[in-house]
Amino acid sequence: MTATPAWLAAVESVLNRSIEDSSSAAAAARRLSGTSLKIAVEGFSAIRASMAAGRLALTAAGETAADAVICGPPLAFLALLAGGLGKGGAAPGRGGVQISGDAQIAGLYRDLFERARPDLEEELSRLIGDLPARRVSLAASSAVSWVRRFGRTAGENLAEYLQEEGRDLVNKPELEEFLTGVDDLRETADRVEARLAHLEQRLKGAT
Amino acid sequence: MTIKDPTVDFGFERVSWAEKAARVRQVFTNVSGKYDVMNDLMSFGVHRLWKQFTLSLTGLKAGQQALDVAGGTGDLARGLLRQVGKDGRVILSDINPSMLRAGRDRLLDAGHAGNVQCLIADAERLPFADDSFHCVTIGFGLRNVTDKAAALSSMHRVLKPGGQLLVLEFSTPVAPGLKPLYDAYSFKVLPAMGRWVAKDADSYRYLAESIRMHPDQETLLGMLENAGFSQARYHNLTGGIVALHRGYKI
Repeated sequence: MTATPAWLAAVESVLNRSIEDSSSAAAAARRLSGTSLKIAVEGFSAIRASMAAGRLALTAAGETAADAVICGPPLAFLALLAGGLGKGGAAPGRGGVQISGDAQIAGLYRDLFERARPDLEEELSRLIGDLPARRVSLAASSAVSWVRRFGRTAGENLAEYLQEEGRDLVNKPELEEFLTGVDDLRETADRVEARLAHLEQRLKGAT
Repeated sequence: MTIKDPTVDFGFERVSWAEKAARVRQVFTNVSGKYDVMNDLMSFGVHRLWKQFTLSLTGLKAGQQALDVAGGTGDLARGLLRQVGKDGRVILSDINPSMLRAGRDRLLDAGHAGNVQCLIADAERLPFADDSFHCVTIGFGLRNVTDKAAALSSMHRVLKPGGQLLVLEFSTPVAPGLKPLYDAYSFKVLPAMGRWVAKDADSYRYLAESIRMHPDQETLLGMLENAGFSQARYHNLTGGIVALHRGYKI
């Protein structure tokens, strides 16, 4: 048996705390007792998640078989996580993530991880105390908001520069005017074509 | 029937079982006064991170019971006390009265009283009823135990079903290129440090030798499984200089 990385033990510990603190997660864990799931992210060592006595164990997968295997490229897993694991998010089997083995067990593990999603502020408070954890959480939340706002503003400024200053791109009113002109031209051409066809028919009738 | 070898390792020496127990007791009586200072010096303070990692895996909740075997000056016990809270209970046990006295004083100085008991106990014959604790820890103590298999069985016995044993101990470096550096540090620097700071080079030479004679990661893992632990596994820390073994009583 190879050594289990320390970071995996830390993740396992956090997830087990979340399972214990949530009755629905604990029930999901009991349903999975005796089962295992192999998670293989391309380019990284595979992880084996297994359940015994209501407790989740995360270990390096090695060659050990598992009841279900979920594998895919890192971006597909990131998309899966970013979209949420629940009903509103991307489901495994889509977007490059592949499932083999018992799909029902894979689905139950997805349900477990969704229910056992840790409260990061609570976990942080275990390390640095409640008040500092609250402050760090608020600071992180502000930082995320700032990054989002910065991204939106920077995008708007760049678009404005390219459209109004550099004139590399057209702005929306100009584009709409151009498209309207194209539509008008097409309609006029259609009318002329129809009139010419009509005149041709009249000429044929006169001869 | 298995006939036990009448001798056992004491560092690089082979001594009788009774002699090892007596000499280990003497080593820790000698070093108890400077134990914490030496730990910080020898590990550059990293032993605190190893212990913090161990504590992060206990899974203990408020109101539960924990046992720290060979707990010495009580580093792990203090963390366990924080986890079980006032409604829980922690037993700090050690076979050496000098070490236990230092541990008890540190716990009292840190304001812990009422939910902690300090007890002189032999790890091979823990004086507790079966199924007593949610978690048992032993930090840098197992290699000094004369009969390690007996100690592991004893710790398995006192754990509640579902309880976890955490064994933090020096092990075999696995990081490439680390072993020669580690050997030079252990056999040259450590005894010199012991001579200058603790005025006791022999005890720290024993420390280095006992680490080399301690079972490596896979061997200790097998010992945990033989003692009845389920889901046994280990985590290498600092390139394998230290390993944390864990197993559950299912």
